[in-house]
Amino acid sequence: MLLEARNLHIGYGDAPAVWDVSLDVDAGEIVSVIGPNGAGKTTLINAIAGLLRYRQGELRFDGTDMARVRSHDYCAHGIALVPEGRRLFVKMSVEENLEIGCYLAAARKVRNESLERVYGLFPILRDKRLQLAGELSGGQQQMVAIGRALMARPRIVLFDEPSLGLAPTIVDDMFEIIAKVRDDGAAVLLVEQNVIKALGVADRAYVLEQGRIVATGLPDDLLKQPHIREAYLGV
Amino acid sequence: MPSATLLGQALISGVLAGGMYGLLALGLSLSWGLLRLVNLSHFALAFLAAYIVYDLGTNYHVAPWWSAMMVVPAMFLIGVAQHWLFDKFKVNELASLLITFSFAMIVEAGIQLHWTADYRRFETHYSTWSLRAGPFYIPVLELVLCIVAGILAWGTWLWLRKTYVGKALRASAEDADIAAAFGIDHKKLAYLLSGIGAAYAGVAGTFIALIATLAPAQIWAWLGVVFAVVIIGRLGNPLGALFAGMLIGASESLAMAVLSPAWAPVVSFSVLIVILLWDPDWL
Amino acid sequence: MTSANALPSALPRLAAVLGIAVFAILPTAGLPAFYDSFFYIVFFWISLSTSWALLSGFAGYFSLGHAAFFGVGMYTTATLTTQFQVPFLATVPAAAAVAALLGIGIGAVVFRLKRLRGELFALLTLAVTFVIATIILNTPIDGGAGVFMSAVPMPDIMPTQTGTIYVLGFVMCAATLAIAWKVAHSRLGMGLFAIHDDEDVAEAKGVPTFRYKMAAFALSAGIAGAVGGIHAMYVGFLTVGGTFELTVPLYVVLMSVLGGSRHWFGPTVGAAVITTLLYAFISGGEAMIGRAIVGLILIVAILWLPDGVVPAVQKWFRKRKASETEPAASIVPVVTAPARPVGERTILEVRGVTKRFGGLQALDGVDLDVREGEILGLVGPNGSGKTTLINVISGFYPLSSGTIAVDGAQIGHLPAHEVAGRGVARTYQIPRPFVNMTVLDNVALAATFGGPVRPAAEVRDEAVHWIAFTGLAGKEQALPAELNLHERKFLELARALAARPKLLLLDEVLSGLNPAEVDNAIRLVRAIRAQGATIVFVEHLMRAVVELSDRIAVLNEGKLFALGAPREVMRDPRVISIYLGKAYAA
Repeated sequence: MLLEARNLHIGYGDAPAVWDVSLDVDAGEIVSVIGPNGAGKTTLINAIAGLLRYRQGELRFDGTDMARVRSHDYCAHGIALVPEGRRLFVKMSVEENLEIGCYLAAARKVRNESLERVYGLFPILRDKRLQLAGELSGGQQQMVAIGRALMARPRIVLFDEPSLGLAPTIVDDMFEIIAKVRDDGAAVLLVEQNVIKALGVADRAYVLEQGRIVATGLPDDLLKQPHIREAYLGV
Repeated sequence: MPSATLLGQALISGVLAGGMYGLLALGLSLSWGLLRLVNLSHFALAFLAAYIVYDLGTNYHVAPWWSAMMVVPAMFLIGVAQHWLFDKFKVNELASLLITFSFAMIVEAGIQLHWTADYRRFETHYSTWSLRAGPFYIPVLELVLCIVAGILAWGTWLWLRKTYVGKALRASAEDADIAAAFGIDHKKLAYLLSGIGAAYAGVAGTFIALIATLAPAQIWAWLGVVFAVVIIGRLGNPLGALFAGMLIGASESLAMAVLSPAWAPVVSFSVLIVILLWDPDWL
Repeated sequence: MTSANALPSALPRLAAVLGIAVFAILPTAGLPAFYDSFFYIVFFWISLSTSWALLSGFAGYFSLGHAAFFGVGMYTTATLTTQFQVPFLATVPAAAAVAALLGIGIGAVVFRLKRLRGELFALLTLAVTFVIATIILNTPIDGGAGVFMSAVPMPDIMPTQTGTIYVLGFVMCAATLAIAWKVAHSRLGMGLFAIHDDEDVAEAKGVPTFRYKMAAFALSAGIAGAVGGIHAMYVGFLTVGGTFELTVPLYVVLMSVLGGSRHWFGPTVGAAVITTLLYAFISGGEAMIGRAIVGLILIVAILWLPDGVVPAVQKWFRKRKASETEPAASIVPVVTAPARPVGERTILEVRGVTKRFGGLQALDGVDLDVREGEILGLVGPNGSGKTTLINVISGFYPLSSGTIAVDGAQIGHLPAHEVAGRGVARTYQIPRPFVNMTVLDNVALAATFGGPVRPAAEVRDEAVHWIAFTGLAGKEQALPAELNLHERKFLELARALAARPKLLLLDEVLSGLNPAEVDNAIRLVRAIRAQGATIVFVEHLMRAVVELSDRIAVLNEGKLFALGAPREVMRDPRVISIYLGKAYAA
């Protein structure tokens, strides 16, 4: 099992946001965590990416206990993040943003090859490589954010609400790319508000409501159960 | 209205003086722009370096460039130590301003205790050399200063632009958390930057010893103008600091020639006020 | 309870009276003139730093330009006495007036800038000082030669010149402290302290921030000007360099920070300590060691006592008084009075409201009516405009177009603090209490600025009532940092209620709460409505929205998408499709 989370309690300051969450991601899988706004999805993925510390529970990546790993060492273990809202370095160029992705030594050695792969995946970025990241459209910025994560040659890519703020057609493209990322060899854990898209691409899924996992299983099964409707619509 | 020659000379002198502003502004701009810490002790460290270079040169006949080779790395270490203090106490921007001011006061006191408040001048046989270009005189030391400032500014700019460490610094300054998510250790970089800023103060100090007359109270004389230069040149921008320095130096010099010497300070501060009122985001 | 109780309140008052008496008669004690001089200097720094703290300490607008006002005052007196032969004492009010006008002039420009905070204000004030110094240097006011005051006759207040100066300095100091004390205990002070902690929220609670900042700045500048006027007599010979020396504004800052810039007495402590230290060393001939030690003390103080000495001492006393066990947050009792039926009056009328941010259309023509006593749930996917609508109604953002009326009164064009005055209160998703004020003061401020002008005792009772209503009884003296999230959210509610609003806007009041806390909060919202308020709340926790709302309004892409009874709306296939996609709804 590539990623194992057991009974995670995560919070901001004194505000607990996620209670007792357990989930697994295996190599080659796409796992989606869906839930309405405010369910705690970003909190969960930020803890798995090392941006937040979890208070209780266990997080293991490829067998390593991440409790004593420092935030800036998570990437070296093979975890790459595509953050909510992109969070690009807007004053730096597209290519510089991508290069930050391969900052670590191992990834830096194959920089050129990685860049080629990213430009192959997102041809428009090659044209805009010297432009400031802040000048790109939402969809293009999302491409840069994904490319940046891929430059790190990760074993798992974490996507935080990839569809947020994007036009519907671009959202379709995003999810195709997520599938391609998995095909290229990395596992994927994504948290998402958009139920249909997230379940459409996933091998397995979890439903997060009010900081707790309320259901898990295969996408088709989850669609038939009432948990999603109750979480999103309250009825 | 003064003659063209006089204006031309004023322009040249101003640009050269601006080189010193730029050199002093360099370290300050880096630490303020990339670390969000306002380091008022920058000036005190520069003067400390100046006094040491003067002392070694006058009492032990050590040539300034040898002194610089000892002083600049020492300054680097002082910068690192200062940042250790800030890091340990999680000092914010305002507190850093107050603490570094206090630190500067302590350094000033130390300088005065050791070297007294008497004016000191580092006399060298080349301090009065100057080149002639037509009707204009170009003091050699100040020219060298500008060249060095230019090399440092340009070198820093290249470093920030082209190297991985430089890019990591810029990324970390924008969004330290996400930079960390890609392996960038903000803490280590902050120490490096602190040290570099202080090292630049050491370089500036070496030239201050060569060009200016030293007195402890002089530490505060340049504070206002250099701050203005840092802001006008935009924080964290080494080339901006240099160009702003030369621009301000030239404007001041021309104002002095056309109006009167005492009007010089109005230039930099009026420009600063206008910029800040017109675009608060400039900062 | 320890035997060393907190000081009875009569003691500080007694100490003050004693202090004033002692210092008032000191010159007659026949001490050497040196002491007159020394105490004058102490009074001088106390007045200067206390006046600085009026704006910069109380409101947090850090000024590095105090020398400008002080210097302007000095030169006003110098010019009037030497060039126009005005009697010295008459020039002091003039010095104050000129300095105050300068402060008002600067403030009028600078306080209007939308994003003027922090370092920007500090730098601008510093730059202005340099410009003023240069102007004075280059005009006949000083002209570079300096101004000699020795020919100006000293008023005949005391037998000796130093005695007279002492008295003038003492009177100035006592007056400054009296003003500082008064401000700190007035509406103005309350507003300034709130501005310090969170200016936007202060504005939303009804504090007229621009007016208050101007008032504080003018007072601060005026006092500095008067101090300068008197000081001109003391120095006898003015130079631009000596007057506008950089260390003057910086000393003032350091003295206030050391003693505690938020407390009216803080700068006094800092000024007294630092001045005494510096003097001790100057007279010993080792002035520089004195400065070094001062620098060291300041570094230590800023690192270990960031709020200053006086607040640290206060905190120490508070800790000794505090009880050991904290009662658990009480559960709000279920409201037994029947819920009022929804009234006929339209409390909120939104018509055609649009809001654009640059190229982004956040709200695209929203029409909405909310009746008196109704609880309306505002929902919608991310980016639908829910929080923007709240921000527009509360006046935090100006409208791009459309109208908003609260109980018949148009509020669409009003700034936030006037919207608050029309009966609109809001809470924030992440609670934004005034962190340096107690729970009681937080709520009292909202009652003060959100209601009619009343005596302080009445306001206090009102605050205590709302604190009890939200289940926070017993925590009146706690600081917000000592409360947990649940309690801080309820503090937000108490603060909102203290203004007795007609319309209450709640922004994700349930986020971050555990299920028991959520139930508690729902009960409280119902109790609030039973009191007569109309509530519009933004919420993501759908189960709670369905349970609590009379009606639900669904926003999507900046437009009102659906409106109606909860269960009907959330079962509407169109609504389902915007949340879960068309495929799901089919």
